[in-house]
Amino acid sequence: MKRFLVALGVLFLAVGTARAQSLDDLNIQIHGYATQGFAYTTNNNILTMKSSDGSPQWTDAVVNVTAQPTSKLRVGVQARYMILGNLGNAITLDWAAVDYKVNDAFGVRFGKVKTPSGLFNETQDIDPSYMWSLLPQGVYPLMSRNSLLSHYGGVVYGTVKLGQSLGKLEYRGWAGGRNLPGDDGYFLNQSESGETLPNGISWVLTGEALHWKAPVSGLMIGASNTQYRSASAPLLYGPYSGAENLSVFNSPSYFAKYEKNKVMVGGEYIRLLVPYAVALTGLPVNPGVLDERSWYGMASYKVTDKLMIGLYDSQSVDHKASLGAARDSMDWAISGRYDFNQYLYAKAEEHILHGTLVGYDITLNPAGLQPNTDMTIFKVGVSF
Amino acid sequence: MKKVFGMLLFMALVAVFAPGAQGQVIVIANNSVKAADVSKSDLKDGSHVTPVLLKSGAANDEFLSAYVGKSDTAFKASWRSLVFSGQATMPKSFDSDAAVVEYVSHTAGAIGYISKGTPHDGVKTLAVR
Repeated sequence: MKRFLVALGVLFLAVGTARAQSLDDLNIQIHGYATQGFAYTTNNNILTMKSSDGSPQWTDAVVNVTAQPTSKLRVGVQARYMILGNLGNAITLDWAAVDYKVNDAFGVRFGKVKTPSGLFNETQDIDPSYMWSLLPQGVYPLMSRNSLLSHYGGVVYGTVKLGQSLGKLEYRGWAGGRNLPGDDGYFLNQSESGETLPNGISWVLTGEALHWKAPVSGLMIGASNTQYRSASAPLLYGPYSGAENLSVFNSPSYFAKYEKNKVMVGGEYIRLLVPYAVALTGLPVNPGVLDERSWYGMASYKVTDKLMIGLYDSQSVDHKASLGAARDSMDWAISGRYDFNQYLYAKAEEHILHGTLVGYDITLNPAGLQPNTDMTIFKVGVSF
Repeated sequence: MKKVFGMLLFMALVAVFAPGAQGQVIVIANNSVKAADVSKSDLKDGSHVTPVLLKSGAANDEFLSAYVGKSDTAFKASWRSLVFSGQATMPKSFDSDAAVVEYVSHTAGAIGYISKGTPHDGVKTLAVR
């Protein structure tokens, strides 16, 4: 909340430096959206919701304020209130940034900025902008969305025209810092096992992305990578204290999307190879490696101006984990979206889930996890 | 304060390239705009063009359908993605053709679209190639 107020202050200061301009000249806009979801699962409870009983604990509300004092300068801030099962229930700052676009070839934004990695990282939180109720969780984990969405620092961006026969190349580069708080979804099972990170983990990171917009209309092929510097964070485990140490690691992503008329086809592959070591006073150092590889392929079709249907297949595998249902996660999803008008929409989605690598926690599944679960989702959203 | 709206080129381009829209929608520009025509690809891409829109109506629907290839709902949804990502602000929009003409005529670099037949003194028209 304090950061949100500071960000608002920065916003209005930046706007104020435009001096004697009318509000209309400043192009101040307020937008927002709100969604309410309902999830039901046949076996396991998922995403910290008591979904096996049917759960409405899935709410998002966003407010966004932007101003554009000049054609090249834009400032803005976005705040969110989220409930997802036992997570959230607080107001957080999505982003607060100043953006200066010199020209098509170069622009820069800084503050708390969205991280432009992968196909959906910048838009994963914008439920009104895509048809899925739940993005592929191995690549875009909802329980960690607020942490992975943005970083403190800057982004440089631009477009380079390659000529009519080669299309355009969009580039993005970023640097800064990111913190995953101790109650982030990534650490859920760890904390439920007794290991807690009171300060979470913070990284210095850099990254880059290239999007090639091919001369074939509607085709984009891209790649991105985020490099995380080594990090160390205090760790508590019962009477023991120590640190969780992570070595340098990369998070590469390769993706493509084709959109033409009523059809969209897309896919992405991402790898997370993270060497770590848990060092607790009085206990041997416990080294480990996480090697999680995830991918998805998706397609959607616009049946009418108001109705869209789609499906995706997604898989995640931890290649360092022991064999068993907890080593991987597979998700077949079929989805539909209906836009009543430009403000109001509804989504319905069915997931067939195999494996328990992604999305489950111990506390809400005390009898143990079943290897297979079906999930039904209904969601209503309004945006302005 | 003068503002340069190459973005309005977007609308001009769209208007010109859309089959079927030629008879219903014309593209107008502030007299400061040097271009005599615009290309549809720039308009469709929208990366450096922020359009001035009509909020609703037949001209708006025809313009978006013919030149952008999207319904009004889909078009606004795509802009909202940029807005909620902090990458853009929503384009200015107006309730009537007359309001569009008034804004374009008084805003350097501005480009817009209006229904054919709407009086548009004080602005120039653009061809779409």
